Amino acid sequence: MSKPDFDQFLEQQLQSQDKELSPSRDLWPGIEHAINLQQSKSKRNWVKPAFGSAAAAILVAVVGLNMPMQQDAEQTQFALISDVFEQQKQSLLVQYQSQPALTDNWQQQLAELEQAEKAIKTALEDDPNNRALLGMLAQVYQQQLDLINKVHQPKQGTVLQHI
Amino acid sequence: MLVNAEQAFSQTQTAQQELQTIEKAQQGDQDAFYVLYQCHVRRVYALCLRLVADQAQAEDVTQEVFVQLWQKINSFDGKSQFSTWLHRVASNIAISYLRKQKNWVQRVVSSEETGMEHEQAAQCQELNGLDKLIVRLPERARQVFVLHAVEGYRHEEIAQMMNMAVGSSKSQYHRARGLLQEWYENE
Repeated sequence: MSKPDFDQFLEQQLQSQDKELSPSRDLWPGIEHAINLQQSKSKRNWVKPAFGSAAAAILVAVVGLNMPMQQDAEQTQFALISDVFEQQKQSLLVQYQSQPALTDNWQQQLAELEQAEKAIKTALEDDPNNRALLGMLAQVYQQQLDLINKVHQPKQGTVLQHI
Repeated sequence: MLVNAEQAFSQTQTAQQELQTIEKAQQGDQDAFYVLYQCHVRRVYALCLRLVADQAQAEDVTQEVFVQLWQKINSFDGKSQFSTWLHRVASNIAISYLRKQKNWVQRVVSSEETGMEHEQAAQCQELNGLDKLIVRLPERARQVFVLHAVEGYRHEEIAQMMNMAVGSSKSQYHRARGLLQEWYENE
């Protein structure tokens, strides 16, 4: 039996084509996780600088523990985590804008950490599932937040002297 | 006639229910959003799979669509059908996803993005007939073909979505059609 001609085939196939196909796995858990992360991110916008380290700790936990289980939503989670960190960092920098720093070279130290962050991100582009790299990135994020907090917080001794 | 009236009534009821669910989701109700997800995930996934021609990536893009949908759902004003609006959002996200992927994928493979291999497409259980051929098309030709022939977008709309000239959209469509015809006739 000969095939129908191409135009006929195309028309018939387009009319009978499945409009719905099922993914091979349940996509909802990854979506739910990303949505919840977004919500906690928007709630954290008002958070005081002292909570910076806690945010980074959450980041470490998410990267270290949840990522392997949620590899399906990795792109989304990774982007969100970077967003959360950037917002935290910017909010700290704005907060301390008018406050003198305790060391002179903190910006140089921060630039070094930013370079490390950039290098890890470049490596992650080629190997996005690499857990060691994700852990390193989380660590560099944490170090940046710690540095900004540390150089702007008054030393305890100084505060006591004033009391 | 009575059957048509019943069908119309049932469709109206369903549309009203969906509208109520959308309104709840717009107010931040995640359970309502899950209902919308269940109603539309298979349709969105089918669109994504045809656009990206890779099962794992199509699943990632589908997730991305619903995550972004949660953020954008307040911009749905009810003037068009929700499914029409959702498909436009999904198409844009899939196209933008592929554009972003290209940056680092291209560094590794410096050739034009092809679709699935013939053998891989043949093994893909969920695809049949024309779909097995569509997923083998090169990226741009495939996207234009899916958006125009399958989803019914005009070349002017596709040009805007894909940031290309209308003429390019038409020529990519003809390229896709030519390849599909060649594969169909030779296999």
